[in-house]
Amino acid sequence: MARPKRTEETSKATTSFSGFGRYAGPATLILASLAEGPKHGYALTKDIERFADVRLAPGTLYEALSRLEGQGLIESIESADRRRPYRLTAVGAEALRTHLAAQRKVADLGLRRLAGTWGAP
Amino acid sequence: MRVDVRSVRRRATLLSRWYPREWRRCYGDEFLELLVDDLQERPHSLSRSLDVARNGLLARVAVAGLGGRSLHPDKDGRRSLAAFVCAAALFVTVALAIWAQLTIGWQWSAPDTVATTAAMFIMTVAVAALGAACVACAVPVACLAVRNLAKRRSMETVRPLTLVVIGLTALILGTHHFANGWPGTGGHPWAHQGIVPGGVAAYAWASTLFLSSYWLHPAALTNFPAVEVAWMFACPLALASVIVGVAKLVRRLEFSNRILRFERAMGVIGASAMALFLIGSALWIFDGGPGPRDLFHIGAIDVMELVVLVASLALAGRAVECTRDAARVFVPR
Repeated sequence: MARPKRTEETSKATTSFSGFGRYAGPATLILASLAEGPKHGYALTKDIERFADVRLAPGTLYEALSRLEGQGLIESIESADRRRPYRLTAVGAEALRTHLAAQRKVADLGLRRLAGTWGAP
Repeated sequence: MRVDVRSVRRRATLLSRWYPREWRRCYGDEFLELLVDDLQERPHSLSRSLDVARNGLLARVAVAGLGGRSLHPDKDGRRSLAAFVCAAALFVTVALAIWAQLTIGWQWSAPDTVATTAAMFIMTVAVAALGAACVACAVPVACLAVRNLAKRRSMETVRPLTLVVIGLTALILGTHHFANGWPGTGGHPWAHQGIVPGGVAAYAWASTLFLSSYWLHPAALTNFPAVEVAWMFACPLALASVIVGVAKLVRRLEFSNRILRFERAMGVIGASAMALFLIGSALWIFDGGPGPRDLFHIGAIDVMELVVLVASLALAGRAVECTRDAARVFVPR
């Protein structure tokens, strides 16, 4: 069966992951993992568990993968194995960069305010 | 720890069945491998099973056209419409059963409270509006199906059309036979003295004969003529055949944007008529008191039917809402 097509919403999703709802967190983790190179489902689970200490359950992982693929942020690679690997697209890389930069701004601001009010740790 | 690979694969296959076939065609193989790896690493994880069940059910809801993220947004409009057909058909069946029994009761003696009389008027208006909306909805679908059949003769259209024709034929023949065969449904000299047409009520009664509390009283049921009991088994099958056939047709036909908008508008009218009927039946049920000779007496089956009406109206409303959302992204041919 044909893979899901990219929707019109791609450009919006690249900046805000709009429509991802509770899958926005898993989507960020998946994109961050794929930034290193292509991975299949189980490799993604293990990598994310290693760097974020979060275990994505199979249902959540595939719902997020399916959304990311539908938005054109990742794509699957043909494989002789039944474990199909995924890789980041150029749009996905840009979306991840924008998203992480926005998160870093929030993190930096929060840390600065904490240091100002509560002092250095 | 030694893990039996065959048993793990069997468990993974079972778990993946939470997802609809369409989703499994797209992601099934790779998802199965992930489940096998996960099961080997964590043989017992309730949270994993719950996560798969939850996401699988959500995928099923999306494939049924009742919202959520779809793998094929271009099919969403038709799917939502088919879901509406099923929910509305369930509502109409139960509503007709209630209305027919009360209307036939009225032919023997009028209701003795204002609330029940008002409820009867409301339900009658709602049934008429529902009937009109159903016919208006069916005409474009029937025309499209016939045109599709004449052009392509594809089995995709032939099979559901066959189901509809078989079901409708059985319903018409059986309903006609039983509607004219029982004194309470029109044959009695008092019939037609009421303000509602007894003939229509008789047909509605006969087509919903299986919605009866007699199922809980097998001893009474054995005193019924065998052919009537046979019809009580046959008519839900005939109804199901029509509903499944229409729903499959709707899912397979390609609607233009204009027809989809029209069907949606009829869906809104239909859902409003359903809400009106619900108000009428709730008024009758909450009025509570038995009428003369208990003809308007409320039984447990009526309360159960009210619950079914509420559930099917909620589903129909959701489906209409999803049809609107799908119409927004629908690309006209």
